[in-house]
Amino acid sequence: MALLEIASLAKSFRREPVLADISLRANAGEIVVVFGPSGTGKTVLLRLIAGLEEPTSGQIAIDNRDMADVPPEQRGVGMAFQNFALFPHMTAFENIASPLRALNGNGGVTAGVGKVAKLLKIDHVLGHAPRELSNGQKQRTSLARALAASPKILLLDDPLRNVDAKLRFEMRLELPKLLRQSGSAVLYVTQDYKEAMALADRIAVLLGGAFEQVAAPEEIYNAPHSLAVARLFGDPAINVAEGRIETAADGVRLALADAALPIDPAFRVHAGRTVTAGIRPEAVVIARDGGPLSAVVEAVTPLNERTVLLLKAASGWEFLASLPSSGEAIPEAGGRVHAGIRPAGLHLFDRESGRRLAVNGREG
Amino acid sequence: MDHTSPLEKTLRGIAIALVLTFFLFPIFWIVLMSLQTNATILRMPPSLVFEPTLANYRALLTGTLETTAGNLDIAFMRNLGNSVILSLSAVALSLLLGVPAAYAFARFRFRLGENIAFTLLSFRFAPPLLVLLPLSLYFKHLGLTDTYIGLVWVYQLICLPLILWIVRGYFEDISPDIEHAYRLAGYGWWQTFRRIAVPLARPGIAAAGLLAFIFAWNNFVFALILASADKQPVTVGALAFVTASGIQYGQIAAAIVLSVTPTLLLALYAQRYLVEGLSLGAVKG
Amino acid sequence: MASITAAAHIASRPASRRRLGPRLLPYLLSLPALLVCIGILIPFFTAVYYSTLRFRLNLPGLKGFIGLDNYVNFLSDSAFWNTVKVSTLYAGLTVGVELCFGLAIALLLQKPTRFNNLASILLLLPLMTAPALAALMWKLMTNPNFGILSYLVSLVGFTDFRWGSDPKTALLTVTLVDVWVYTPFIMILLLAGLRSLPKAPFEAAALDGVPRSFVFFRITLPMLMPYIITAALFRLLDSIQQFDIIYSMTQGGPGDTLMVFQVQAYLEFFQYTNVGRSAALLMILWAITYAVSNVFIKQWLKLRQRTHGMT
Repeated sequence: MALLEIASLAKSFRREPVLADISLRANAGEIVVVFGPSGTGKTVLLRLIAGLEEPTSGQIAIDNRDMADVPPEQRGVGMAFQNFALFPHMTAFENIASPLRALNGNGGVTAGVGKVAKLLKIDHVLGHAPRELSNGQKQRTSLARALAASPKILLLDDPLRNVDAKLRFEMRLELPKLLRQSGSAVLYVTQDYKEAMALADRIAVLLGGAFEQVAAPEEIYNAPHSLAVARLFGDPAINVAEGRIETAADGVRLALADAALPIDPAFRVHAGRTVTAGIRPEAVVIARDGGPLSAVVEAVTPLNERTVLLLKAASGWEFLASLPSSGEAIPEAGGRVHAGIRPAGLHLFDRESGRRLAVNGREG
Repeated sequence: MDHTSPLEKTLRGIAIALVLTFFLFPIFWIVLMSLQTNATILRMPPSLVFEPTLANYRALLTGTLETTAGNLDIAFMRNLGNSVILSLSAVALSLLLGVPAAYAFARFRFRLGENIAFTLLSFRFAPPLLVLLPLSLYFKHLGLTDTYIGLVWVYQLICLPLILWIVRGYFEDISPDIEHAYRLAGYGWWQTFRRIAVPLARPGIAAAGLLAFIFAWNNFVFALILASADKQPVTVGALAFVTASGIQYGQIAAAIVLSVTPTLLLALYAQRYLVEGLSLGAVKG
Repeated sequence: MASITAAAHIASRPASRRRLGPRLLPYLLSLPALLVCIGILIPFFTAVYYSTLRFRLNLPGLKGFIGLDNYVNFLSDSAFWNTVKVSTLYAGLTVGVELCFGLAIALLLQKPTRFNNLASILLLLPLMTAPALAALMWKLMTNPNFGILSYLVSLVGFTDFRWGSDPKTALLTVTLVDVWVYTPFIMILLLAGLRSLPKAPFEAAALDGVPRSFVFFRITLPMLMPYIITAALFRLLDSIQQFDIIYSMTQGGPGDTLMVFQVQAYLEFFQYTNVGRSAALLMILWAITYAVSNVFIKQWLKLRQRTHGMT
């Protein structure tokens, strides 16, 4: 039985719907990342689970217990807020101790605080007030406070957002182990797709108030359910163009930008259809001996281990290619190349709905 | 950068000195008068050099006035006591009632709350007699005239709006997430209110309380209408004192000094919060 | 896609069962404030009712409903118009002087030096004095026999200046007391406003060599307007209802030269025991202040929003 179960959750503020038909399950020890652009309701979802807001409709169950009439302090939820929300008039120690004291009075508080502080490497600043702590220390104190009483559900609202880049990188390495050790079901909110892919067991992509896709990171990246999802993941962003599925003697092709790209024969069922194609920049292959797509190199931008090329096809369509810097020779600006597309990086979507085109004739 | 010429600086200095003189002189002069015997006071022209005496204060504090016509009993200390009792009780009650209400107004959006806050605010600007005169008739029926309870209740009309509007602002300034974090740590709303909201709003609560005390103490018309000699605070008592004691100017001055000193001292102590208090939270000092 | 098939067994009740506790909480917390509100509104509506009665406490038998007669009678009552005249004059004079004076002092003390801060603190003292007691202080100082002020004006030729007891100078005297007590109010409000103004426009003007009068009239003053209006309206509303100072000083005299609204109403009630007329007079005053304060409260709420950044 999942530790957290959400069924058909919806929330509106004064008739303005924010979330509609949200369903999700999370198990103990699992990290589910709720990912989406800002303003899509990620924080609202966390607050609903925490009991800080009432849902308009739908169910939330924690450890098999319906949370409909349960106030926040009885839910067994730990939460780390984006701006830390530390109690300014208490020391870091007292901050972390507060959930322990609520649970067990004053027994074992020092030990409990010490344990989690050591885990988060802040045991040396426990006597300080929050205003004396650095942002990184505040964030760890906030996390420690959320973890201290071993909550069933751990909610992390973009905790690394207000933290400097170096620390963010460190925490991205430390957090997964820490969070899995806690044994809680973890819901982690972020707008950074790299963070999502680094931390998640599953990613729930929240778009337009609903989960567009909930799956493991690889699946999200390699089989995005819609163009919108595909756009959110990947840097540089996915190339988008319209193309038509055509049948030819030796297979099925996608007619795009005056080129004919080979695609999975199973797409035969959609022959004649105009679709939206998404092409990952790293799936563009520049081969010496040619490829179906002829283009001119407009610009070359080296970025550490990858080099990004801006290419312009004969039809005028501009697209990005991302090549390994240390691989084959990088073409120069102004040169003409022949590019091919690796099928794994070519995704077809319905032109109207944006939904992924499936090979068995259906969408989605 | 400072572009002001020395001439301008001098003029500015003189102007400020004049202003300070205008506003501080009366207080200074009354203090002087309180240390003078009647004879000294009546001597013209007035001079700054005289033999100071504490006889006036002694008379007030002991409650007897020795005149050439015999001994008079002065009840002024009673007035002072009334002021203390009334002001302290009124402020204590208004804090007890007002701080939780201010919290409700700050944290919850509910129509009734907005209406209450608005009504109390609009009556801040309404003529007090409009409420007091009918109230005096009601009090007579209810037997509340000239009682501490009746007066402390009526003083809420002065103190409560102040507490509500000032403390509400301080609660609003606390990030709600801090309270949410405490709830999630396992505490109910009452503990959150007591251990998080109130301590963090403490400067505002103190400021509001001090200001409420000053306004309650300085109040005149409420006690004039609803209290008789027995329960009158110093503001009304001093006036009666003037009428009663006739020519004892030194004592009148001493009475004024005693009446005014508490609020002046408090004002000096709480001056940081006065701008905010006086504008009911509209302007932060 | 998260499967909800297993979760469907959870009974799908709509979340209409809100938690009762927190729902009632704000109402419980504000109950005392509500009681005080009611405690204000009951006498208020009683006063409204009384204003439509012929009601004298010493002639209880004559009590009866007379509609708007009390109000209509005022129109032809010279005492009423005197009250209106004196009140308006008093309010206009005091607020006018206090605004100019307060603004001038605020400008003088604008720079936050230690001296200026000390000065502005000291200048608060008159404001913290009970107005009734301030009136007494000034009464002593203007006593014709031994008052220091009487002495000082005699030095410049006014040998028999009677201050509060002279119909010609009574208004001036109480205005003086009012100015003494309340100018600091305007001063600290405008000082807070001045100090909170953004520096950039002034620095730009200094760089451009703009003359000081221009800076004052076209930059400072417009930006200070919300504070000036707030201060002016606050004081106007209080001044037209002034009671403490005038009653303590002269009880409305000499004659009826200082019969402002509330003093007149007080005397109607306690001296002539005419509850009906007293109530009607107060209702008229209330109507005036209500109209003005309504406009003002919206402005005040806007200023407050700026400070607290909330609704």
